[in-house]
Amino acid sequence: MPRSTLAATRRSGAPTAGPGLNLPGRRSISPAYAFLLPGLAVFTLVMIVPTVQAFAISLTEWSVAPGRPSLFVGAQNYLTAVGDPVFWIALQNSGVYVVATVIPQMLLGLALAVALDRPLRGRAGFRALIYIPVISSWVVVSLLFRYLFGTDGGAVNALLAEPVDWFGGRWSAMFVIVLLGLWKGVGWAMLIFLAALQSVPAELREAAAVDGAGRLRRFWVVTIPAIRRTIVFVSILLVIGGFNVFISVKLMTDGGPSDLTQVPLTYLYRQAFNFLDFGYGSAIAFVLTVLVFALSVTQLRFTRRDDEESAA
Amino acid sequence: MRITKLGAAAAVAVLTTVSLGACTAASDDGPVTISFWHAFNADSSEVAVLEDTLIPAFEKAHPEITVEQVAVPYDELHQKLITAVAGGTLPDVVRADIIWVPELADLGVAEPLEGLMPDFDDIAGSVYPGALATAEWDGQHYGLPLSTNTRVYLSNPDTYEAAGIAVPQTQDEVADAAAAFAANGVYAFADNDLSGWNILPWIWSAGGDLLAPDLSTADGYINGPESLAAIQLLYDLYAGGAIPPIIVQGGQDGTEDGLANGDYASVMNGPWAYPIIAGSFPDVTLAASQVPSGDGGSISVVGGEDVVIAAASEHKEAAAEWVRFLVSPEAQRALAEVGQMSVLSDLGPEMVGIQPYYEQFVEQLATARPRPATPAWPEIDQAMKTRLQAAFLEGDDLQTALDELAAQIDDILAAHE
Repeated sequence: MPRSTLAATRRSGAPTAGPGLNLPGRRSISPAYAFLLPGLAVFTLVMIVPTVQAFAISLTEWSVAPGRPSLFVGAQNYLTAVGDPVFWIALQNSGVYVVATVIPQMLLGLALAVALDRPLRGRAGFRALIYIPVISSWVVVSLLFRYLFGTDGGAVNALLAEPVDWFGGRWSAMFVIVLLGLWKGVGWAMLIFLAALQSVPAELREAAAVDGAGRLRRFWVVTIPAIRRTIVFVSILLVIGGFNVFISVKLMTDGGPSDLTQVPLTYLYRQAFNFLDFGYGSAIAFVLTVLVFALSVTQLRFTRRDDEESAA
Repeated sequence: MRITKLGAAAAVAVLTTVSLGACTAASDDGPVTISFWHAFNADSSEVAVLEDTLIPAFEKAHPEITVEQVAVPYDELHQKLITAVAGGTLPDVVRADIIWVPELADLGVAEPLEGLMPDFDDIAGSVYPGALATAEWDGQHYGLPLSTNTRVYLSNPDTYEAAGIAVPQTQDEVADAAAAFAANGVYAFADNDLSGWNILPWIWSAGGDLLAPDLSTADGYINGPESLAAIQLLYDLYAGGAIPPIIVQGGQDGTEDGLANGDYASVMNGPWAYPIIAGSFPDVTLAASQVPSGDGGSISVVGGEDVVIAAASEHKEAAAEWVRFLVSPEAQRALAEVGQMSVLSDLGPEMVGIQPYYEQFVEQLATARPRPATPAWPEIDQAMKTRLQAAFLEGDDLQTALDELAAQIDDILAAHE
């Protein structure tokens, strides 16, 4: 077959395959959507639909028993939240938790990853040791910390000259909650950073070394830029995880004493499951979702702008 | 002797009712399976008794009924029940903590038993009134008590011997004991929370109350002089270092270890403290006594479980049969062996034969009272403990704190109207 005929066939054949295909640059998009569909369907089913449902519930005085009417109350539950001091304490606490856990987890995780990225005696053992808290059950380690920091007979107070009533005050209790989050999470950050570090091309570092860059400088100008996307990824997931802190607070303080260590999830859990006020609980959940979503989008924006700048 | 005969007579009477009921159930239903959710402890022998003794005995007597039991950890059961209510998937029978029953009744998902069980009055008459009251809501009973318990004063005798004093019998003596223990570095008393379960025995024994008898208001009750005196006693002990700080920490710690170790001279606890302490500290012998009395006497709080039949159950007759069996003397005796005190008042004297440590609990139960049976209870309880935690931590004026609390509780009651 002459080459021109082949080209003609291709040209004339293309439109019949569908209107989308004849536009330059979009040729590969339709199959992509088809492949995305299963994942998207699951995402819609387990994420979008419940979110919309929760929003609908948050506008009502929701009746738990099916068959009983739920009273539409508009924004009342949101106004309740605004005027509820415990809701603000909960938001504050989760803000403190995020700041106090995310930054140290990233710095420590990166430092550990760099340290354990080089040949080292017992390297696998160290990696496992740091990763064990990550795979331990939240329930187990929360109860463990509760015992360790117990006022009477707690191991920590036994080591201190002056015993501290850890769970008797807001900040001392938050300190223990943060410490647990840090200890439990740092191994995960380390592991992700380790994987990223191993993908940094050795030639780049060698080239920088040839150019006379020292170890620190190589780290700053070669390694960090190479794993920048991973850093952003880790920070986004840690922030989301931080706002979703629940089990440790529920088991160690249950928001006490006197609601001073409430976080949004423990507070909404109490409203919904203890007081059966699912409308108010859903309102808190929805506010938290919007907040976390906005933060994640902002974090992504920052990196995208950086990408464009570096591309230009 | 007379009591034993009486008990035997009652047992025969109940058994007769059981078999009579069996005839009616078997007539038209055919083979049915009923589901039963409970929080019997899987780590102790409770679940074993249910699986190996109770269900086989019941199924043998009622070949047409199969019981499918589901053990749910206590901490998860309430959430699971509420989820099941929303999904319309409640089991036929639930063993519910007594404080959940008014809530289930108010949601309209529990079946009133007066209409379902023709022999309800007979059975109700055989259980402790305090236990029966926990299942009542709006003039009807939405369950039958299955097991009961209460809190008594549990003491470590070694600590009292070392301090050279006797276990306090009155609230005044508790205050005096604190002075004696201060020198030994021992806490005179310990409790792990400020919820109703913890402080109502002190308030009631002092002659106070939390709510008006008709549950309409807290004003004049929780902030009345008797209630104030009881809470003031606890606060003074806490502020003076005679009660450890876990009391403001929301029930996250148990008091068993501290009692057995001799860190705490006394605690208030239920019968389950015995197996817990025996497990870890086999050498420790506890001394039990009645709740320290005040102007109101020695009045403790009723705990325990009720069995509830779901309003949506398709096998209500069979479910009622299972409930009848569970409150029969046969089943109650088997449960008493594993730490579940019987709700049948006739079995009271027998309890001590089954477990000697039941003695003080049986005596205390005669006057023990249930927490207010209202669906607003979880919110009232939370409001009370949160406000009192703050007052204890900040050293607030207690009268002011209790006045505020009364107003807050009245708001909660109004919202539940």
